[in-house]
Amino acid sequence: MSQSVLKLSQNDLSRERKESDSALPISEAAWSLKTRALTEMVYIDEVDVDHEGIAEMMLDESSIAQVARPGTSLRLPGTSQGGGPSPAVRPMTQSGRPITGFVRPSTQSGRPGTMEQAIKTPRTAHTARPVTSSSGRFVRLGTASMLTNLDGPFINLSRLNLTKYAQKPNMSKTLFEYIFHHENDVKNALDFAALATEHAQFKDWWWKVQLGKCYYRLGLHREAEKQFRSALNHQEMVDTYLYLAKVYQRLDQPITALNLFKQGLDHFPGEATLLTGIARIHEEMNNITSATEYYKDVLKQDNTHVEAIACIGSNHFYTDQSEIALRFYRRLLQMGVYNCQLYNNLGLCCFYAQQYDMTLSSFERALALVSSDEEQADVWYNLGHVAVGIGDLTLAYQCFKLALAFNNDHAEAYNNLAVLELRKGRIEQSKAFLQTAASLAPHIYEPHYNLATLAEKIGDLQSSYAAAQKAEDAFPEHVDTQQILKSLRQHFAEL
Amino acid sequence: MSLFKARDWWATVLGEGEEFDQGCLCVGDVDNSGTGFDKVVVGSYMGMLRIFSPHLSKPGEPSEADAQLLEVHLRDPIIQVELGKFVSCSELLHLAVLHPRKVSVYAVSGMAGNVEHGDQYQLRLVYEHNLQRTACNMTYGSFGGVTGHHFICIQSMDGMLMFFEQETYAFGRFLPGFLLPGPLCYCAHTDTFLTVSSARQVESYRYETLAVATDADTRHEGEQQSKSSGKRLQADWTLILGEGALDIYILSFSSSSHSIFVLGERSLYCLKDSGQIRFMKKLEYNPSCFFPYAAVGEGTSNVLMANHNNMLLVYEDITLKWAAQLACVPVAVRVANFQELKGLVVTLSSEGHLQCSYMGTDPSFFTAPKVEAREVNYEEVDAEMRSLQKIIRETTRTQDILPRADIEDDLIITASVSTDLDAVSQALLPEINGTAVPSVTVQIKVKSRNAVQSPKITVCVQPPLAVSQDQFVLDSLGAGAQTVVTLSAFLDGLYPPADLTGDVAAYYSSPTELNPAGVPRVTQCKFSLPLRLLCSPTAPLKSAKYKITVDTNKPPVNLNQVFPEFAVKSDDKEGGALAFRFITGSSVSVLASKSSQRYRIQSENFEDMWLIAKELVQRFDGHFAKQGVNDFRNSFAGPIPLAEYFEIVDHHFELRVNAEKYQDLLSERAVQFRAIQRRLLTRFKDKTPAPLQNLDTLMEGTYRQVIALADRGRRTLQPAPGCCLSVQPPTWSSCW
Repeated sequence: MSQSVLKLSQNDLSRERKESDSALPISEAAWSLKTRALTEMVYIDEVDVDHEGIAEMMLDESSIAQVARPGTSLRLPGTSQGGGPSPAVRPMTQSGRPITGFVRPSTQSGRPGTMEQAIKTPRTAHTARPVTSSSGRFVRLGTASMLTNLDGPFINLSRLNLTKYAQKPNMSKTLFEYIFHHENDVKNALDFAALATEHAQFKDWWWKVQLGKCYYRLGLHREAEKQFRSALNHQEMVDTYLYLAKVYQRLDQPITALNLFKQGLDHFPGEATLLTGIARIHEEMNNITSATEYYKDVLKQDNTHVEAIACIGSNHFYTDQSEIALRFYRRLLQMGVYNCQLYNNLGLCCFYAQQYDMTLSSFERALALVSSDEEQADVWYNLGHVAVGIGDLTLAYQCFKLALAFNNDHAEAYNNLAVLELRKGRIEQSKAFLQTAASLAPHIYEPHYNLATLAEKIGDLQSSYAAAQKAEDAFPEHVDTQQILKSLRQHFAEL
Repeated sequence: MSLFKARDWWATVLGEGEEFDQGCLCVGDVDNSGTGFDKVVVGSYMGMLRIFSPHLSKPGEPSEADAQLLEVHLRDPIIQVELGKFVSCSELLHLAVLHPRKVSVYAVSGMAGNVEHGDQYQLRLVYEHNLQRTACNMTYGSFGGVTGHHFICIQSMDGMLMFFEQETYAFGRFLPGFLLPGPLCYCAHTDTFLTVSSARQVESYRYETLAVATDADTRHEGEQQSKSSGKRLQADWTLILGEGALDIYILSFSSSSHSIFVLGERSLYCLKDSGQIRFMKKLEYNPSCFFPYAAVGEGTSNVLMANHNNMLLVYEDITLKWAAQLACVPVAVRVANFQELKGLVVTLSSEGHLQCSYMGTDPSFFTAPKVEAREVNYEEVDAEMRSLQKIIRETTRTQDILPRADIEDDLIITASVSTDLDAVSQALLPEINGTAVPSVTVQIKVKSRNAVQSPKITVCVQPPLAVSQDQFVLDSLGAGAQTVVTLSAFLDGLYPPADLTGDVAAYYSSPTELNPAGVPRVTQCKFSLPLRLLCSPTAPLKSAKYKITVDTNKPPVNLNQVFPEFAVKSDDKEGGALAFRFITGSSVSVLASKSSQRYRIQSENFEDMWLIAKELVQRFDGHFAKQGVNDFRNSFAGPIPLAEYFEIVDHHFELRVNAEKYQDLLSERAVQFRAIQRRLLTRFKDKTPAPLQNLDTLMEGTYRQVIALADRGRRTLQPAPGCCLSVQPPTWSSCW
């Protein structure tokens, strides 16, 4: 019933029949309402969308200094400033950041320093990144228009008279959001926004923000920055600050982004999203102490903030305060977060807090709640750790094997399995596992170091040296690696 | 996500299959009892009007029926209910009920019953207005500053504000730029009407302006006049929100200060009178309804907010003070005072769950479901564990992540090299240094023992040797099937190879019971190519730069017998001397001593001797083995020619260093090239075209540099494998 009415109104609009009575406004209203509903179906807050492709990363004309000063760039996370944890304590992601307590779009993206590195980065099923962001996810999101209507898209953009609609302030915003979010046609959206902002005599901050969003999607960050700045001059809005900070983060200017957030906090004191933004930047810059401070501020504003609780919890866990971490995770559990990851973390915390009775049952629940093979692999990997901890090496061996059965790219599991194989005296197997681990995850130092030790023991000094050098690249401060390198150099010098 | 749930004080479910929305809930002293306690009025889209006076049910009393004061079916859907002083000459509160085409004002009165059933309540219609246009929502207040009375303003679906001064219709005005109706609210302090229009902005209209604007009924004629008369309706102020709004409330702190609260779809705004933002909060969930109320503290306001995640949140300004779980998603929320308890939260869901609740520390609804617990019978578990362990142990023995060498391969490959050179050469280079390049056919037989899937064969020979086809994709073979592939091997470079052997590897998958897709397996075999592929006989040289002498413990043999294919038809019947001329140019001579048991290999090129020496030793072994001599030995007596060897190693090292250098230079230039590209891109993207400042020349130059470097690097690499090969043989020969 409603379908046929809307269909009629669409025809009315496309034919642009000017009828003298009030039928046109009513059909316009229905059309506008349907547009809004369709947009809402696929709406994602643009602040949270972050998808950086290789081409965007490497061909951005905006990066100024290739070698930035420490603490001013997101690309070179300083390892020591602000007392960041060492990879010996807290595992690192591919980009050399400590892993975070909360998965966000940006935490998954490593930023390789050079094109060569970007191409050479090993691609497992999970780390593969699209070559450009204009393909991939956005296009897939854009196909929503095909699915909803069997007769083709609701609005035929190519036949739309953009100029006409840009002059109708009561419809244009809805239409823009439809083009941007539902159709994902950024170029048309940009044209439309440009017309509309012109019609609004460049006084409507909202249109400027939309222009900025379009420019950002198109990778024109400087233009986006200009629009967002101009919008802020008209009207201070939390969203505009978030968008602008996102541009600065993409431009690799974390300090500017931080200043901007603080400026935003002057206008909107205690705004949780701004505080979270600051905390995230600190975390990405490897400044965990400050990040935790800001996450605590977030909790003062909103004590149900899951991200803040999870990040503080994981930070406590990696600073050997698993009892405190346990309290944070338990809080999440009480709040109704009920998933595999949480139980996994609870299990680990219990284990390190020596509450062995809870450990296995937590992992049991985690296993019952897994939603993907990768999660299952991680749980088994952690169980393997627990088994190593209680000395049950057979169980550990089987756990690591299970982890690999579920996720064949689990480098850490390969590494640990190699160590267990070595204990059994099976050198060839151990070596093969270590090499696999090293090729799957060159950013973790353990396989390199283990390989170096192993190769040194069996007298293959050349490979030992090569592996030790890789370990040093991954973790320069590792003392044992230094020692191996030193003794090897000495040995080579004697020859 | 909350720790606690809202504690139910009183709850009921209204009707069955009825629908409720934002305007359907209203609290107040509807029957003017004067006690100051609130009753709850609920209307539904099905036309049911209900009034409740909730109280805590004492045990043994019928609860619900007792709390419900009134239930009337009004036939038309109820969009909104409001309590106000709607009747002239009466200070009492009356109930205004908005239907789509009608607004009715009722008086509710209670009479003390004289039997034990309790009080009796009645609904009496005072007056009603039929509406010309379909109504959307309404607001009320003392418009224009009248005292003691409330007027009603109804917004129609097509954007007309209709004003009713109690029993009389005053006037109607069309809102400018209207498309879809938004929430409407009257602010008594400034005497303005606030709404959020389809242009996504808060608009404020003064009552005076509305009153003096052109009449809506004469709009069509009025449009022409409006320009001259200046009576066109204009908003007092507007504020662009950029999102649709769900609701608007005015909250007064005192007689002088008040705030406008707007609940957007994604944010909460608090505005001043003048339309500036006092504060805002970005919401990370989808709100469903809200209700601001004055806080205890000075100058702060509290907001009750409900969202679609079944949460009830209490904010003090923007700080979250409390979060409680609700049983359903409310569409309307109010605060009410009842006889026993003050400040209860009244929520109404779209399905008709009416709840009066308060904040408490009851843990939230969520409890982790129990993991399936089973009675542990330790003996059984032990037995199961043992059997599982046994299976695991057995499987580990047979299959593992790393495959174990199978005793018998499912696929057997054998390679045979034909004894004759091809009649028509398959070589890619027709001739090298004026010599035709021969080729030889290699036949690979593939025999399967069991069924195998998609076998692939890869053939690999030492460069610069090459084969006509190095990869074969075969069809899956059944058990006992056999296929043959043939290929030709030939020299494809300007230097001799280090080795004449080739490798054949077959990759296939053999299906097992557990894994029908097949377990990947590899089998391989070797073949060796004839020396004829590389060299032809020539006249032996008497002297040469490099010489190697091989001692044996047997009398010398006729070299023509050992190398029958190289036997030159000459007068040297004893076979004391033989010479090999490589296609690549150099030649090697083998001389057999007539008296002693020695052979001399000599050549102008140190590294070329290796192939001949190796072939010679191999053929001697074969020759003597055929004769049944077992204790044949050969040895090298003289000093190892280390000087020559090191020379080659040095040369090789130099080439490698060069290659690396070019690689570095190349990547440096590539970076430079990309940097220039990037700059150019920026230039071209600029709206105002800037001069290129010779960037194009720079780019062109860098491009040429890159190409030149790549060329040079390739040239360095080309001799490198040749040189690599030339290191290899002497290394081997010195070991042997």
